[in-house]
Amino acid sequence: MTIAPKAPRKLSMKDRYSALTRDLEWDPSYVSTEEMFPFTSFEGIKIHDWSKWEDPFRLTVDAYAKYQAEKDKRLYAVLDGFAQSQGHLSLTDASYLNAMKLFLQGVSPLEYQAHRNFAYLSRHLNGPGPRFASLCQSLDEIRHAQTEIHTLSNYNKYYAGFHSYLHMHDRVWYLSVPKSFFDDALSAGPFEFLIAIGFSFEYLLTNLLFVPFMSGASFNGDLPTMTFGFSAQSDESRHMTLGLEAIKFLLEQDPDNVPIVQHWINKWFWRGYRVTALVAAMLDYMLPRKVMSWKEAFELYFEQQMLGGLFQDLAYYGIEPPKHVDKAIQEKEWLSHQAYWILYQFSHAAAFTTTTPNDEAREWFAEMYPESWPIIKTLWEKEDQNLANGGRHFIRGLPQLCQVCQIPMGFTEMDDPLKIAQRSVIFEGERYNFCSDGCQYIFEHEPVKFRQAWLPVHQIYQGNCGAADLPGVLQWYGMQPGDGGEYLGSVDNENWKTWHAQADHNELGED
Amino acid sequence: MSDFSKVIERPEIKSIGAYDFPSRSAQALYADDQLVHVWYDGNPWFVASACYRAPKAMSFGDFWSALVVPYHEEDPDWQASWTPADFVWGLDGEDWNPVEQSSLADLGVGHKSVIRMVRKS
Repeated sequence: MTIAPKAPRKLSMKDRYSALTRDLEWDPSYVSTEEMFPFTSFEGIKIHDWSKWEDPFRLTVDAYAKYQAEKDKRLYAVLDGFAQSQGHLSLTDASYLNAMKLFLQGVSPLEYQAHRNFAYLSRHLNGPGPRFASLCQSLDEIRHAQTEIHTLSNYNKYYAGFHSYLHMHDRVWYLSVPKSFFDDALSAGPFEFLIAIGFSFEYLLTNLLFVPFMSGASFNGDLPTMTFGFSAQSDESRHMTLGLEAIKFLLEQDPDNVPIVQHWINKWFWRGYRVTALVAAMLDYMLPRKVMSWKEAFELYFEQQMLGGLFQDLAYYGIEPPKHVDKAIQEKEWLSHQAYWILYQFSHAAAFTTTTPNDEAREWFAEMYPESWPIIKTLWEKEDQNLANGGRHFIRGLPQLCQVCQIPMGFTEMDDPLKIAQRSVIFEGERYNFCSDGCQYIFEHEPVKFRQAWLPVHQIYQGNCGAADLPGVLQWYGMQPGDGGEYLGSVDNENWKTWHAQADHNELGED
Repeated sequence: MSDFSKVIERPEIKSIGAYDFPSRSAQALYADDQLVHVWYDGNPWFVASACYRAPKAMSFGDFWSALVVPYHEEDPDWQASWTPADFVWGLDGEDWNPVEQSSLADLGVGHKSVIRMVRKS
């Protein structure tokens, strides 16, 4: 009698996950735990039991690869179809792509940096659960960087401003805002990074950062970006779960962690919120077909979901809403107008174009912003007059920058919305300037870090940006004629009109 | 504005090693010059204050004509006849009465100071 060999026992997904993470964990015997994980003590965070980390992912490598391959297949099929059918001609207007230029130049490089730092966490966190979660997120982030680049590369064939985005990210003044934000997180310890990016960026502000771009794409005929957004969405929900687990884990491990985490929430809320000023300008001014106003987005995704939901839950741990959040709420009527007014008058030094809002947009602003628009519209009316007289409002020089957020200091006092907010302190004999109480607060806690800020204006004046004149600096930025300035009459605008005139002619037939 | 020149102390630094790096905007990096901000308060046409690199020894009169005017005359409402006397002046949160012949340094303008100007009504 022969006995048939037993079929290999198949592990359940849960068992495989456990084998992959917990079963691969060991206690070091040749070196101490401190030598093996040298970066998880200096921040002052106390962790007593790493096994208390609730694994939010429970994925295995093969399951991860299978899901992502399926999503990629769908995305690349859409990209091919869109490219082959000249889908770019069905966008609402070429000016819509300014939003995507800002995204490619400002956000996609951050995905790559997130990939790097989560890879670091997947080596350096003591617990196997958070290490594996970080590994998955690291893979997500590099996929996002790649798929975003591939999604938008098709537009680079036809439109200005899509080339050299990585070169620009490291050099251009408005891109120093997102870049310095992320560099700040990369140069922090692993726990601060988890709160900065895992929690504040991926949870607290994620909907404000990503939904406006993806909804803008869907409202303006950009099928590839919309499909990318869907492809990333399931990853983002995992990232949110990780961010939330990270903060709860830190808070539950030791009461001494609470004030440290509270300070990081204060800091990273304001850091992230200042970066969203660019998103606010994009959402309200760059989309030919509007989705929702910044004010509405802020009320829904931040005030209702975060202040009304999340922070009610965190109160249990003794965590309060971020410091200076009241200022952000006050600014919701003004933020997008002030940010776009910055971009508008400096767009001769940008790799996107700007233009005055048309009549339809002004009606929409009047409805969305009853408090601020009556004042803001007088600026645009002055510019209308200026344009009629042959002018165009481009600043003839360089602006004062905030030492922390690096944005030109165009934000105002909320009890006097036309008065620019000016803050400054002296540290070790040198004066530093800030746009807000939030940025001053951040500086005062880490002056030695923030005094190293690579401020584009100061660097130009030191002679570190190619040349002392604007054309020389733009060349050093990697910019080409047609990348920036006024949209009306730009290369993109002229090409768009030509292509659509051809299409109209073809419909009529020859002669 | 009273605490515009508040001096702050160095807080405790949490780091993996010695951490003490210099300012990337220190005055010494600009030789005999310094960075000077001019804030045209009450005029929202200019979204932010201007930042100039100016010699410490530059007279206020030269600063006005060589740097302040060329930047601000882009405003359609700017009058070519305007002189510093048409404005009320402030420096780093204090009232300030600049003399055209005096140098910026002698007038108390420091590196990254904020000069405020408001049109006299």
